[in-house]
Amino acid sequence: MDGLAPPPSLLTPRRKTSLAKIIAELWESRELVEQFMLRDITIRYHQAIMGFAWALMMPLLIVGAGLVFRVVLSTLADTPIQGASIAGLAVKAVPWAFFAGGLSTATQSLLAQANLIGKVYFTRESIPIASVLAQAPDLVVSLVVVLIALPIVGVPMHLTTLWGLALLTLLILFTMGWALLLSCANLFFRDVKYILQIALNFGVFATPVFFEPQMLGQKGAAIMLALPLSPFIQGMDVAVVQGRNLLDRVVLNTPNGEVVVWAPWMLAYAIAVSLTLLTTGLIVFRRTSGKFAEMA
Amino acid sequence: MIPLLSFDRVWKRFRIGDTHDSLRDLIPGLAKTLLRKGAGESSAKHKRVFWALRDVSFEVGPGEVLGIIGPNGAGKSTTLKILNRIMDPTAGAVRAEGKIGSLIEVSAGFHPDLTGRQNIYLQGAIMGMRKSEVEQKFDEIVDFAGTVEFLDTPVKRYSSGMNARLGFAIAAHLEPDILIIDEVLSVGDAAFQQKAFERIKQMATGGAPVVLVSHQLDRISELCSKAILLDRGAIRTSGTPVHCINTYLNSLTEDSDSAHPGAVIRYERTFAPDGAVVDSGGQLTLVVSGYAEATNAPSTWSPALRIVEADSRSEVHTITGLQRGVPLPVSGAFEYHFSLQMNVPAGRYTAFPIVWDAAGQRDPITGPSVHIEVVEGKAFFGPVQLNTEWRVIQNAAVRASAPARQRA
Repeated sequence: MDGLAPPPSLLTPRRKTSLAKIIAELWESRELVEQFMLRDITIRYHQAIMGFAWALMMPLLIVGAGLVFRVVLSTLADTPIQGASIAGLAVKAVPWAFFAGGLSTATQSLLAQANLIGKVYFTRESIPIASVLAQAPDLVVSLVVVLIALPIVGVPMHLTTLWGLALLTLLILFTMGWALLLSCANLFFRDVKYILQIALNFGVFATPVFFEPQMLGQKGAAIMLALPLSPFIQGMDVAVVQGRNLLDRVVLNTPNGEVVVWAPWMLAYAIAVSLTLLTTGLIVFRRTSGKFAEMA
Repeated sequence: MIPLLSFDRVWKRFRIGDTHDSLRDLIPGLAKTLLRKGAGESSAKHKRVFWALRDVSFEVGPGEVLGIIGPNGAGKSTTLKILNRIMDPTAGAVRAEGKIGSLIEVSAGFHPDLTGRQNIYLQGAIMGMRKSEVEQKFDEIVDFAGTVEFLDTPVKRYSSGMNARLGFAIAAHLEPDILIIDEVLSVGDAAFQQKAFERIKQMATGGAPVVLVSHQLDRISELCSKAILLDRGAIRTSGTPVHCINTYLNSLTEDSDSAHPGAVIRYERTFAPDGAVVDSGGQLTLVVSGYAEATNAPSTWSPALRIVEADSRSEVHTITGLQRGVPLPVSGAFEYHFSLQMNVPAGRYTAFPIVWDAAGQRDPITGPSVHIEVVEGKAFFGPVQLNTEWRVIQNAAVRASAPARQRA
């Protein structure tokens, strides 16, 4: 009897669901996403002694690390640090902290709730998505603090800050896409979370968080800005601190020649990568979700 | 009747061993597989598979309650997981239309650091309830669980009983199109269990198709309109709950019989020719057939019939040949006809023949059992008095192969 197998004609085809259906199901489960989000937020702030001050910890650490880095660089190059570049560092720490923090927790979210997945059916996408969204209050708090602090350090508020808000919204979708992909990858390969941490440590140097593109010269800047995460970070600096319209080309004159630090295509690029990642994430996640209970 | 729920030739395969759950193992694993292929070996041979379900089909229409019974590892949980969409089947088609409510792991979604109140909303959402629905039923849920005074206490400070009661109370307020129940019948203390069971009964008879898995066979026979018996992933038999339960109980004793190689008599079948459902105080006929093979049985051994409560297995009555002057059969086929007046309270009982050893005060041989349901009949007072009649037919034609004539 153990040698028996079903006739091939009976084999169940792989789970295939259209994107529209996945999104409709997620919309149907919005209250579940809200509950998961509330749970994650409650637990995080309940456990942290500092409460909401915790939301500022990550960006502050990044700014601190960035400052040390800049001081070392400027001492070596014997050029003074500009106030605007410190303000830029703070503004760019906001999206980076959200991306790194959201992705780290979301990658582990599915495995952390393996027990639940093996026992109850619900729209599985809601776990990593809620995990990313649970970082949103941190994003809002740190953003508000930075926006209040900017005029104090001498950077006036520009109307182009609205571009920054649009970029942050896209960044949430971008992070969700990665979160969907990596959370299910981490269920199948438990070392994905370690690899992610290493990648994030490199990422802080590869994307324009610590460096400004013009520091790398023409070619270096072009390569740095071509990384999918860069438009979100660089765009914040250009729109919020420098007060430039993101539909304009921004070119800086440096001793090494003219360096393009923002171009309108980067906006289109940001929209394209976030939507592509989210779509891919949703489809891959759904295709593999039939195997979750066996891996959990 | 359109089945709202069906399994059509469902198979489920699990892989055992040789799986990777880290990239660190996967990469050398892939390299090994490639090398093996190079050496002319098929990598498929190294993957061991296990069929948890083999060609399982059933249908549950509106208002029907299907019971699934079987030993551990028979595939009951896998069936429920596939029904619940937690797992995909390897082959076959599953149909389950509408909102599925499952009374399985009713507090799985609880977070220990959240309060009872917060967890009600969380668990409710996980089970597919709208927030407005939870709000509307909130008081009822809390009242049912009996945890009002602990609403704002984190559930990590709850006793395990309170935890389970709260989880059950939430699940019990679902309004599903399909209901799936697994072993939640044993939640909390005796009083809560009774309350939970009444609630399940109420939900199960609400018209939605229901699938119930339980080791408590009496619950199956009480709640279900039909049943299947799973054994090592395949359906062994299906039909009325009583039929499936009896087939299951018989299969259990078949295995234990072989543990007595020196048995001098073999009980082959126990059945109730006029049906296994009887009014309290009513007449029940049981037939035991068997075959005697030896003549050198100890003189202290005698045939006997024992009746126990199905659930607790506690003894209700034992009629021994010693009391009635019926000796152990010497050789050939035999048949015992028992006529019992079931002066016992309504409930579920199990009857099985034994060989009673008066010297050792033990049962060296146990035969197959039959499941009996006693339903509310005439008023029952006083101690058990079964007014047994006992007829012996020596050298009877072997009835062991006679078809069962059982009514549910």
